[in-house]
Amino acid sequence: MTAVHLKKVVKKYGEVGAVHGIDLELQDGKFTVLVGPSGCGKTTTLRMIAGLETVTDGKIFVGDLDVTDLEPKDRDVSMVFQNYALYPHLTVAENIAFPLMARGAKRSDVQGRIEEVAAALEITPLLGRKPKELSGGQQQRVAIGRAIVRQPKVFLFDEPLSNLDAKLRVEMRTELLRLQRQLGTTAVYVTHDQEEAMTLSDVMVVMRDGVICQQGKPVEVYEHPVDTFVASFVGSPKMNLIKGVIDHGSFTFAGGAHLPIESSHFGETTLGVRPEDVILSVGGDEGIGGIVEIIELLGPRAIVALKIRGTSLTAVVEAAGLTGISEGVEVRVRFRESKLHLFGPDGRRSG
Amino acid sequence: MSTLVAPRPQGTRRPNTWGFGGSLLLGVACLVVFLPFLWVLLGSFKTGSQLNDPTLITFHPNLANWRDVIDSGILQAAGRSALVGIITVSISVVIGSMGAYSISRYKTGGSATRFGILAAQVLPPAVLVFPFLDMAFRLRINDTLAVVVIAHLSFVMPVVTWFLIGFFDAAPKEIEEQAMVDGLSRFAAFRKVVLPQVAPGIGASAIFGFVLSWNDLFYALILAPGNAATLPVRIAGFNTFRGVELGSMCAAILVSIVPVLIASFFIQRRLVRGISGGAVKF
Repeated sequence: MTAVHLKKVVKKYGEVGAVHGIDLELQDGKFTVLVGPSGCGKTTTLRMIAGLETVTDGKIFVGDLDVTDLEPKDRDVSMVFQNYALYPHLTVAENIAFPLMARGAKRSDVQGRIEEVAAALEITPLLGRKPKELSGGQQQRVAIGRAIVRQPKVFLFDEPLSNLDAKLRVEMRTELLRLQRQLGTTAVYVTHDQEEAMTLSDVMVVMRDGVICQQGKPVEVYEHPVDTFVASFVGSPKMNLIKGVIDHGSFTFAGGAHLPIESSHFGETTLGVRPEDVILSVGGDEGIGGIVEIIELLGPRAIVALKIRGTSLTAVVEAAGLTGISEGVEVRVRFRESKLHLFGPDGRRSG
Repeated sequence: MSTLVAPRPQGTRRPNTWGFGGSLLLGVACLVVFLPFLWVLLGSFKTGSQLNDPTLITFHPNLANWRDVIDSGILQAAGRSALVGIITVSISVVIGSMGAYSISRYKTGGSATRFGILAAQVLPPAVLVFPFLDMAFRLRINDTLAVVVIAHLSFVMPVVTWFLIGFFDAAPKEIEEQAMVDGLSRFAAFRKVVLPQVAPGIGASAIFGFVLSWNDLFYALILAPGNAATLPVRIAGFNTFRGVELGSMCAAILVSIVPVLIASFFIQRRLVRGISGGAVKF
């Protein structure tokens, strides 16, 4: 079943378009992440679902209800903002109770529910405090508590973790996912961090310049990016994109190196290869020769920066496979053939 | 207002970074400010001849001036001034806060409104007072408190509005958006979530506006010189054709200062927070 449906939604600020007619169906109970660089229209899209931005053209449905012209309060959604947006003049308990009481519930009726939510988020001891007396992580928990207290149809998250430090961010990410699974509520999450998008999403929607480039399961997007933008945006370190020409089963680098390739394509092509699909070896004459420039050891794995006749390349290698490889050494470079991506001159996937 | 300076916990003292020189400077400044007040205070207990003798150091205080002043209906005039001030400020705060919110959030009237709203302050009051007088006569409300309130609104409301714009700018937009998603209409979000955040600003602007109204002589003197005379008009009345009745005037001046001092004392902390909080944004 569809929980949220955007039909040809357009947003313009004066003459400037921010979102150019996107179609998006969010499945019930799924965690959907909108991801893209800043200015891609992801936050605008989220705010249009919330009702905080008017829709220039198109329609938005929550369930079967056309909410395009409804006020935010009538859309049955809840939202967590990047800066948490806690009510500074209210205590934690009052903050959490707010969505219930704003809809006419009495304080005595909601007490049990507040305690339940506080217990789930482990913030019971903080209920009497004011937001300014809380740490960033605690404020975040209160904001999430306020979002889940009412059991809305959809949760909306606008980069809720980006104000936290790295360690806390990973912790909260797991917790958020656990909570969403537990409640089974549809969630829409906006982030510019592709790693966050990969780990959180059931469905990943990659946006750029106000249009959707690709949507699908994270693993699909990762393994079959539709164009060079998605290919380089998703995954860390970034996918290697090598410009060259294909002719009779051979790919010729801009620098002149040749690579045999099984492809029926001809002409200008960008070859995409993920760093983990670059295989390095020392000695022998397999593959093509390259010079190791820098090795960054990350513990179990290492990122190796290479140059092949002027073309830069990144490889990710198991630390155990680094034997004989050091900075300045010449290595043989091969690509895992089943994992190669080919993109045409327009940047679209061709094979 | 979490962005403002949090109050220090009680019992801790800020280290004295001013040192002796600073204290001396402050002392001199206080003396300069307080000496005229002291002179007025003492003057209110002196007779006419004592007031005209600058060499006089010691004297027997007498209450004649105070008796005169009270008999002349100064307390009733102070009451009328307070009434005018409270009504003016109430209207200004209710309408001004909505106006300031609109200018801050919706850029109503473009950037020109932000400061243009103060344009009337640049005009000499004399330009406005005659239209007011003409209107008052036609409506038969001359020499009533109503016309004084209307005239005071013309300068208190823009100042209150201008003052509050910075406070609304400083209040995070997300909090009211959150309130709207959480179930309030825009107006309810303004009332229940935004206004509490700008409460220090509203307190400060209310006091500021009240003092402006309380101290106004020009409009009140021309629009309501008779039965509805406000305190400054009555004080000016001690400048008679026989000369200035200095003693009585001293007593009347004290009557006019005291309420402002008391009000400022009770909200001084908010006033400082208010002025600094708003000032940062301009």
